Amino acid sequence: MVFLPDESRSLPPPPLLNKGSVWLGFAGWMSALLDNAFNQRPILGAGVHRQVLLASLGCFVGYQLVKRTEYMHAKVDRELFEYIRHHPVDFHRSGEKKRIGQLLEDFHPIR
Amino acid sequence: MAAGLRALRRWGLVTAAPRPSLAFTRSASVVNKVSNAQPNWLGVGLAFGTSAALWALLVKQHNEDVMEYERRKQARDHKCRECS
Repeated sequence: MVFLPDESRSLPPPPLLNKGSVWLGFAGWMSALLDNAFNQRPILGAGVHRQVLLASLGCFVGYQLVKRTEYMHAKVDRELFEYIRHHPVDFHRSGEKKRIGQLLEDFHPIR
Repeated sequence: MAAGLRALRRWGLVTAAPRPSLAFTRSASVVNKVSNAQPNWLGVGLAFGTSAALWALLVKQHNEDVMEYERRKQARDHKCRECS
């Protein structure tokens, strides 16, 4: 399976800093800080090159994953709308707005 | 994992297992004591170089994606207009 098929390039690309890339970059940075803590080094000040590398790696992987996620969601949406287009009989009533009073049965109190 | 266990024991969260009768036991993690005094310049250079390369690749790919999307949008709009 290809990670990003060619038709995924027809979708608008996500911004460089999106939810996935920011979160995974943050996770990479945290793992560098955790490595500092486990090896008894100063947490923030030590191994800046390691923090930068892991954060960059997280951003990169996050961006690719978000692109694939958007492609998967777009593919499912396309199939859904194609199905709706091919079966108008099942969906033609979605245009009217129904009031709740029309859906409920009439109220006949038993007293 | 050994570093993590050592840290947990230092913080008092994990107690050490009872030692066997042979008193002299040595963990493999103690043999190679890594000294953080001198910077590992090769590692620093490689890490910063790889980070720069990763960011360059990411920005380049993002720009290429934007260009390709715009190009395909133009092609799609052009097709529907039924030009002569």
